[in-house]
Amino acid sequence: AQAASNSKRRKDWTKLIYSTDLTPEEVLSGKEEHPVEAEEMDGDEEDFFRLEPASRREEEEEVDSSKEKWRGEDLKRWEDDEILDSIRGLFITGPA
Amino acid sequence: MSNLVQFSGHQHLRLRLALSILSGKPVRIDKIRSEDKNPGLRDFEISLLRLLEKVTNGTVIEISVTGTAVLLKPGIIAGGPVTHDCPLSRSIGYFLEPVVLLAPFAKKPFQLTLRGITTDEHDLSVDLFRTVTLPHLQLFGISDGLELRIKKRGAPPGGGGEVQFLCPVVKQVKTLNFVDPGKIKRIRGVAHAVRVNPQFSNRMIEAARSVLNRYIPDIYLYSDVYKGDESGKSPGYALSLLAESTTSALHCAEAVSQPGVAPEDIALQASRALLSAIETGGCVDRQHQTLVLLMMALGSEDVGRCRMGEPTPRTIQFLRDVRTFFGTSFKIAAADDKESSHLLYSCYGTGYTNSNRTLA
Repeated sequence: AQAASNSKRRKDWTKLIYSTDLTPEEVLSGKEEHPVEAEEMDGDEEDFFRLEPASRREEEEEVDSSKEKWRGEDLKRWEDDEILDSIRGLFITGPA
Repeated sequence: MSNLVQFSGHQHLRLRLALSILSGKPVRIDKIRSEDKNPGLRDFEISLLRLLEKVTNGTVIEISVTGTAVLLKPGIIAGGPVTHDCPLSRSIGYFLEPVVLLAPFAKKPFQLTLRGITTDEHDLSVDLFRTVTLPHLQLFGISDGLELRIKKRGAPPGGGGEVQFLCPVVKQVKTLNFVDPGKIKRIRGVAHAVRVNPQFSNRMIEAARSVLNRYIPDIYLYSDVYKGDESGKSPGYALSLLAESTTSALHCAEAVSQPGVAPEDIALQASRALLSAIETGGCVDRQHQTLVLLMMALGSEDVGRCRMGEPTPRTIQFLRDVRTFFGTSFKIAAADDKESSHLLYSCYGTGYTNSNRTLA
């Protein structure tokens, strides 16, 4: 779920959400921007961008889920004391 | 129907239906699993349509013969006493999510009884609806008489649970200005175990404390006991956790029993998920981004602002759909500090008023 947080480049979220036809997952994964204007250019390119969701559909249906599905690695990192200590500042008991 | 809104695919169905009813714009959704071996709407989606029919007045729903297309012409949000049996393919949380968005704008206060599964892996449990979703509604001035009563619990696959959702009606929602996430001051939680060894609750609580005690002393994890008929038809247990900040920001997580996994490991999953939620959250729980953004868009004609984490994939699609139905788009910019990945979401409210409300 946190795939995007490691991309250092600042995203133009407003533009990515409202002015591109990237899928939500592509917006988060930092895929190359594909402005709406470019869509009319040629059909081949559009097919290219449609490939991923199509292949996913063959595997299994994505469940419309409102609960956050944290990935195993997102949870496993909390086994490390240093990681646990890294968020102390977010609690009233932590450093200012 | 010149204002008809059209979509393809089964994804995001429940929020799109809610947006249609709120905006009064009819919606047509086609290509619903048209490529699937088993095409068309699933039983829980049809059940949701029936529920929306019950809580509104004058809604027309047409489903194509193959079930791969549906047209909904929204009526008014009626509210009042309604009872609905949810199918066992999804939990009550699936049905509550869209209903919570509609309820404040009903003609009469909702008194909705839902029966089925109270906790599952896909949607927020009724515990988190009670302790986290309802306080998120309160941010917008929806509070007096807002309540979720858990009458009976029902674990999958048998269900047998029952909840009652009570929601007041409002004329208009307040503009939100929530930019200080504050610091986490306490953690609360509910552990429950039905039709299994009642010690499982205590074992989950012990294990959760082993992770969370290092941060703050103010931790209260409650072991909720349901017996006999009130404990549903199947065995199961779960731990729901929430963290509250000094500015009343809430973050939540939960984990549900899985075959072959010890209660301690379920508790560790929930605890670590809570830490991930706290780490990324901002002022609003990730799973409540859509609710908060919708209420901001419906707010009075003023600029609403809220600091949150990065949008989830659901949130991104929802923002696009909100613009489609209401013409409102958000400005999303990095929050002004370097430390966090928080974003500042702002929009100009549409000044949505509840025209269904009965004038007293």
